[in-house]
Amino acid sequence: MKTLYVEGDTFLHGLTPRTKLLGLAALSLVLFLVHSPAVLSVTALLGVIVYSSLRLGWRQSWLRLRPILLTIAIVGLFTLVLNGRHDALVVATRLTALALFAAAVTATTSTGDFIDEITRLAMPLERLGLVKAADIGLSIGLVIRFVPEILSRYQAIRDAHRARGLKVRPLTLAVPLIILTLKNADEIAAAIDARGIRAQK
Amino acid sequence: MTTRDLVLAALFAAIIVALGLVPPIMLGFIPVPITAQSLGVMLAGVILGAKRGGFAVLLVLLLVAIGLPVLSGGRGGLATFASPTAGYLVGWFFAAVVTGYCSERFVDRSQSGLVQITGFFLAALLGGVVVDHALGILYLAFVTGTGLATAFIGDLSFVPGDVLKAMIAALAGRAVMVGYPLLPQRA
Repeated sequence: MKTLYVEGDTFLHGLTPRTKLLGLAALSLVLFLVHSPAVLSVTALLGVIVYSSLRLGWRQSWLRLRPILLTIAIVGLFTLVLNGRHDALVVATRLTALALFAAAVTATTSTGDFIDEITRLAMPLERLGLVKAADIGLSIGLVIRFVPEILSRYQAIRDAHRARGLKVRPLTLAVPLIILTLKNADEIAAAIDARGIRAQK
Repeated sequence: MTTRDLVLAALFAAIIVALGLVPPIMLGFIPVPITAQSLGVMLAGVILGAKRGGFAVLLVLLLVAIGLPVLSGGRGGLATFASPTAGYLVGWFFAAVVTGYCSERFVDRSQSGLVQITGFFLAALLGGVVVDHALGILYLAFVTGTGLATAFIGDLSFVPGDVLKAMIAALAGRAVMVGYPLLPQRA
């Protein structure tokens, strides 16, 4: 699986993940309190400048931003029809600014850095006895490890349908896929415990 | 959480991710493609229960947040949470928890098949449709400032598809329960 992280040495790459996440959170709060189209437009423009400073290229940027910009455009259009020009401009610029800054944080923070930060953030929860902080990294690793396997299993089940001349239906596909996958759980859990990865008490 | 529960949740999260990568499945009787990821969320609740199902969905959201393109259409990254439709996405977690909690309440192994399917269907309907759509509508109304009524009307077009998914989740949940029971939780 390819991540959305891009190698680089821009100013944003240098900041710690925590700074970037806190900055993003603060920005989103401020953006929702501001209602002036002028200020929001300037912020959106700043977002464009920050995002283009990552030098992703037009094609790559468009591919990444297309889904969210499309959603914003649709919502903006609805607001325009229902509430008039002023509101539509506020909504569209606010969301665009937020989307650009969020995408910039994603593009400049590696998955590993994120996991480390989440693990640290989960430490207080661990002290409360709610979760084990180290479990988060372990589970994320497990998910990434098993997606390709599930996909190949999906293809095998689909081929089995075709070989028997059956139509591929959600139900006949999902049930064997889920049962086959979850049946592995006991073995995987045993393997994890045998290696002492979760340091049982 | 035992290691087995952790692994079950991680495997289900992987199933939800994989469901976003496969091409949309066409249903036989209506010409509407079913994007399977929200179906996966209901399935997580129905099959794994509240705790493990909720954790599975939380893992998917975490993967989105750390910049992996795991949502259908290769979407991902923090920008997804800045989208006006982010309420539906965050709502997945609550959908899985509510669906799981209700499944644990409504369904047990001594019931007849029809009762089990109905129980699962109601659970998936409550979590996957009522809770998820309510959160989606709330956030959409908040972001756009158009008011709840408008957001609700915009939302309605997605309800039939999701009711159908709840139906599929109920049938699949019952079939998995027969084939490989995980509910009620084994100690």
